[in-house]
Amino acid sequence: MQLASFPFLSAILLSCVVGLLVILFIPRGQDTLVKWVSLAFSGMALALSLYVYCAYDRTQGGLQFVEKVQWVEGLSIHYFNGADGFNLPLILLTGIVHLTGILTMWELGERVKEFFAFAFVLVLGVFGFFMSLDLFFLFVWYDVSLFPMYPLIAIWGTTRKEYGALKLFLYLLAGSALILPAIVYVAVGSGLFTFDILALMQPGALSPGQQKWVFLLLYLGFGILAGVWPFHSWSPVGHVAAPTSVSMIHAGVLMKVGAFGILRVAIFLCPAGWEYWAPIMALLATIGIIYGLFVGLTQSDLKYVVAFSSVSHMGIVGLGLSTLTPEGLSGAVFQMFAHGIMTALLFSSLGYIYDKTHTKLIPDLGGMSKVMPVASGYFIVGALAGMGVPGFASFWAEVTVFISALRVYPVLGALAIGALVLSALYMLRVVQKAFYGERNERYAHLRDVSIGLGLPRMILIAAMALFGLFPRLMLDLVQTAVIPFMNGLPR
Amino acid sequence: MRWLILGPEIYFLAVAAVFLIFSMRSPHRLRNFRTALFLAALGVVVTLATVRLEGSLLHGAYRVDLFSQVFKLLLSVGFFLVTCLCSSLNGIHQARHSEFYLLLATCTLGMMLLVSSVELLILYVALELTSYSLYALVPLRGGDGLQMEAGIKYFLTGIATSALMLFGLACLFGATQTTYLSELAQEMPALLNHPMAFIGLLLTLCGFFFKLALFPFHVWAPSVYQGAANEVTAFVATVTKVTAMAVLVRWVSISDGGDSLAHVLTALAIISMTYGNLVALVQRDFKRLLAYSAIAHAGYVLIGILSMNPNGYAAVVFYALAYLAMTFTCFLVLVKVAPDGRDLAIVRLAGLHRRSPLLAMALMVGVFSLGGIPPTIGFTAKFLVFTAAMQRGYFLLVLIAMINVAVSLYYYIQVVRAAFLLELEEELPSIHLSAPTRLLTAVMVVVMVVGGFFPRHLLDLARSAVQALP
Repeated sequence: MQLASFPFLSAILLSCVVGLLVILFIPRGQDTLVKWVSLAFSGMALALSLYVYCAYDRTQGGLQFVEKVQWVEGLSIHYFNGADGFNLPLILLTGIVHLTGILTMWELGERVKEFFAFAFVLVLGVFGFFMSLDLFFLFVWYDVSLFPMYPLIAIWGTTRKEYGALKLFLYLLAGSALILPAIVYVAVGSGLFTFDILALMQPGALSPGQQKWVFLLLYLGFGILAGVWPFHSWSPVGHVAAPTSVSMIHAGVLMKVGAFGILRVAIFLCPAGWEYWAPIMALLATIGIIYGLFVGLTQSDLKYVVAFSSVSHMGIVGLGLSTLTPEGLSGAVFQMFAHGIMTALLFSSLGYIYDKTHTKLIPDLGGMSKVMPVASGYFIVGALAGMGVPGFASFWAEVTVFISALRVYPVLGALAIGALVLSALYMLRVVQKAFYGERNERYAHLRDVSIGLGLPRMILIAAMALFGLFPRLMLDLVQTAVIPFMNGLPR
Repeated sequence: MRWLILGPEIYFLAVAAVFLIFSMRSPHRLRNFRTALFLAALGVVVTLATVRLEGSLLHGAYRVDLFSQVFKLLLSVGFFLVTCLCSSLNGIHQARHSEFYLLLATCTLGMMLLVSSVELLILYVALELTSYSLYALVPLRGGDGLQMEAGIKYFLTGIATSALMLFGLACLFGATQTTYLSELAQEMPALLNHPMAFIGLLLTLCGFFFKLALFPFHVWAPSVYQGAANEVTAFVATVTKVTAMAVLVRWVSISDGGDSLAHVLTALAIISMTYGNLVALVQRDFKRLLAYSAIAHAGYVLIGILSMNPNGYAAVVFYALAYLAMTFTCFLVLVKVAPDGRDLAIVRLAGLHRRSPLLAMALMVGVFSLGGIPPTIGFTAKFLVFTAAMQRGYFLLVLIAMINVAVSLYYYIQVVRAAFLLELEEELPSIHLSAPTRLLTAVMVVVMVVGGFFPRHLLDLARSAVQALP
């Protein structure tokens, strides 16, 4: 493990912090300036994460771009960042979704300065969480990414926004009430008295008995954020209530924070607990997949359909994590990325339609593709990706997960695949009803999405197609982390 | 020259004397305020100059060490901050402004004596000096009679606990034949199973549980917070709590490893934080809400104390600092939003984000800090406390505390909701802040965020302060 010559990872965080500070000092009323500043700094963050993604040396593997500074003496807290095959896809994902989120919100007119300031705090927390390797900082970033959600949803949201915001906030912080005792217990109870994840990963730090219940606490705590059934109920309500770009970040990135927390903290620190609880994880994940699909497809609100499909797709991540195989893990990480991009696209294109028509109800929309062919097209592409059509990133991710799931849990795997195939039929019906029905004259005067406003959706589609056509761009990278990790496990 | 180590105490005695003279002259609001502000700022400088001094006076009954000096610094900073709020001092009749500053100074003086006293009698006398100043400060507000109720409640519960404490002191003396802390510390570990010594210590602590508003000594807090003038409440809510934390650390540290004491304190901590948080959920008045939140925080602080290890004590010192910063920020907003000196219902915070974005931001950071959300100083303080408790193996206690934290977020978020979401029906003018107030608000925000994210130096200071304990 070699320290980085230039702190690229911290530079990503710093571009968020500086962006936030600059926005805070822009006088009120300068909305356009705020938007351009946000765009510039999020672009800088994206460029840096893209650089880190590409410059990572895959032949060497392991942790790279490491930054480690003693933070608090005596407690052994380190400011410890690093990039590996697990977090690089997610760092890249965060960069893409934040930038496209800002572009999506370009037409925002209400309390603009505050919105973009909160969004930067949120993204700062997410970036920090993904790159941190110290439990103290992981927890700090985790909460930093959660608390801006409340104002973001409650102020700028739509359907039942205050209820949704409060429910989300309380659920997620209840999760952190389980995580913090577990983290402190790991640091103190292991006898090592350090918060450094790598140091705590050494075999024997925690006895198998300790690992079992610490894993359970961490799984429940992070699982709430990952939308694991039956702790998911905050997520559809929250997604629907949130303004468009927040839904994008929320479903696209923030739920991955939960799943990544299960991976980085629970699985890394308590492998014995992981093996012990894996069948339960698989069961919950499968129920989540099936439940999310079927509940989602009875909804008449299109945003609810997308929100429940998130629950279902996060179930695929959970299923991958519970297989205890290298393929399952890689598939899960890839699915986190693929689903992030896909959901962001769905919410983003839906957001445009909603802004113009002020409705999300499927029957009202009927025939939308005749009014706004391009805007509808973006949504339909996203829906196709969600069904797992080959050519998009999510296809490879889902295939990888399901193959390994079939091998490890044949019944659950088969059920999940069956549900997914069935859901494709329903999903097509939803698309048909909302976009290919009779043309609704009420919306005939509306303009289609312009090229500038379509830009974020194009970026997302490009990313999805790029990694769908060349999945090895990502899978190889993920493998460099997964295989050493799985080989290093005590069997 | 030996008396130089008493610098801060002598200085605050002099401040009291200045305002005693002022109180005999015709009332003049601005002169009082400016003098107080200047003297308070000078007081911080004087205390800062004596931070590194050490020594003992009065045959070892009065001890000046880094621990006491750090707390004296906090006290004088707290005095300065509260004075900063008093530019209008609307809640109190103008004729009584000099008395207000006089009592504030004697109260601070009493607290400085408290954190240094290592002998039972001095401790008691210092406590009474503090208490009597507060008894007079609370009903000083002009108004409709609520302040009298608060004053009487505070006085009655105060003297009742003080009687309990006297009994405890007598028991301690009876069991150990000494009134000196250093000698008590030697005898205490062996004597802790002796009922008289145990009850003596516990009842002695009660006097400070009262100041900390820990269950079951909390009954005064809601009425006093609401009934006293906003500026007085700010003082009671910040500076007195800091003192109570300091004295509790000093006195619990003599009973090292006393399991039975830890059990009692654990029970009190759990009840206090659960009770405080649950009752706070239904509060409508901002000051009452802060009172119940203070009861809950007393429980969190006690977790650090009952861990009975150096990390726990250091965590409490850090907590004291954090608590001063975050509670003061809430009161700063309160005083500025309620300029007529009246109480403030939470819904009256509505539209604050438009009336003053800076105050709204400060309120959000302060409230989230009280709620323990990183990267604020309140989170770091809680984290340190919980780590110390975990070292003693109190896993369940930490879990209960964290669940409490999650519950408490519900009412803290209501405050944020009022400030950022609610809109008033009638349009209120934006709040004009003077440049120094704006600077002060910004500094408090920076302190809370930077102190939470970079706790290193503050924690080092807290650790070395704890090492100075006998």
